[in-house]
Amino acid sequence: MDPEWHDDEKLIEALRDALASTDDVPPAFVEAGKAAFAWRTIDAELAALTYDSAQDPLDALAIRSESAILRSLTFASDGWTVELELTPNAVLGQLDPPEVGTVTARGDGGKLAEAEIDELGFFVLGPPPNIPYRLVCTTQSGTTILTGWITP
Amino acid sequence: MRDDPTVVDLVTRARDGDKNAWDELVERYAPLVYSVCRRCRLAQPDIDDVGQSVWLRLVEHLPGLREPAALPGWIATTTQRECFRLIRATSRVEPVDFEQAPDVPEQAIAEEEVLRHERKMILRTAFAELSRRCQMLLGLLMQDPPAPYDEISRRLQVPIGSIGPNRSRCLTRLRQTPALARLAADGPDDRTRG
Repeated sequence: MDPEWHDDEKLIEALRDALASTDDVPPAFVEAGKAAFAWRTIDAELAALTYDSAQDPLDALAIRSESAILRSLTFASDGWTVELELTPNAVLGQLDPPEVGTVTARGDGGKLAEAEIDELGFFVLGPPPNIPYRLVCTTQSGTTILTGWITP
Repeated sequence: MRDDPTVVDLVTRARDGDKNAWDELVERYAPLVYSVCRRCRLAQPDIDDVGQSVWLRLVEHLPGLREPAALPGWIATTTQRECFRLIRATSRVEPVDFEQAPDVPEQAIAEEEVLRHERKMILRTAFAELSRRCQMLLGLLMQDPPAPYDEISRRLQVPIGSIGPNRSRCLTRLRQTPALARLAADGPDDRTRG
């Protein structure tokens, strides 16, 4: 036991701190963690978000003035990159290095959409899910890449 | 907490597909993940991203987890690594102090937060083992500012003169709870000295 805890004041202070700290964590954060259990059967490489045009004020402007692209995102794992462009009608993507395979959009509840990845690594997934989802790319050679969450 | 049987049991059950056990693990360690992220000065959306990565890695890691007792350390270190990766990848957060010596503070923050989390878990467990009356009394005294004695007297229906002695009696019981006694039985524990 911490020697300080023999002192009544110090012990009560430590206890206050211990009981208060759980309140700091937003309930949504805990719930998201619980939901992650649904992904346990997917044995995948995780690709983390490395670029998001929504976080880039200059780029967000350029994209808005230019075309139907709402947002562009990049996810990367050690060996793979997934580039995405979100448009109103579809998610346009490219897997790099290119490899034939399938791509699935999944939410916590299961599969939302599915498409083929062609030999250049391109895919068109549509219509885009209207709830948060992640992409699971499964290549012919047997690699599975799972992106971070995409919130429409 | 090194050989906390509850953690071992939760890990084993979660590994076998028990969703309730997983939920309990998340409840238990979400504050640890959260506090490490806060120490890295991440904003909320980034904290959510890191949280997702950590829980997913844990889901994958469960079958290979040899020593469930090492779980808090694993969680803190993984969180730390994910935080730094995010900081480096997006530079949305200024990586001021971290870039200069990325490895040293990385380990230090994780270890520190594990110890703080352990201490808090022990105290929370001990508090839950106290009688309802002690919990109420200490609860009122822990308010900021502490509830005045006359209010405590009214709410708990005890004489004002008994509050002081009861306070120290309840704290003594807290020290004697199995949660704290287990620590004492391990001998002087330098690891948790703050």
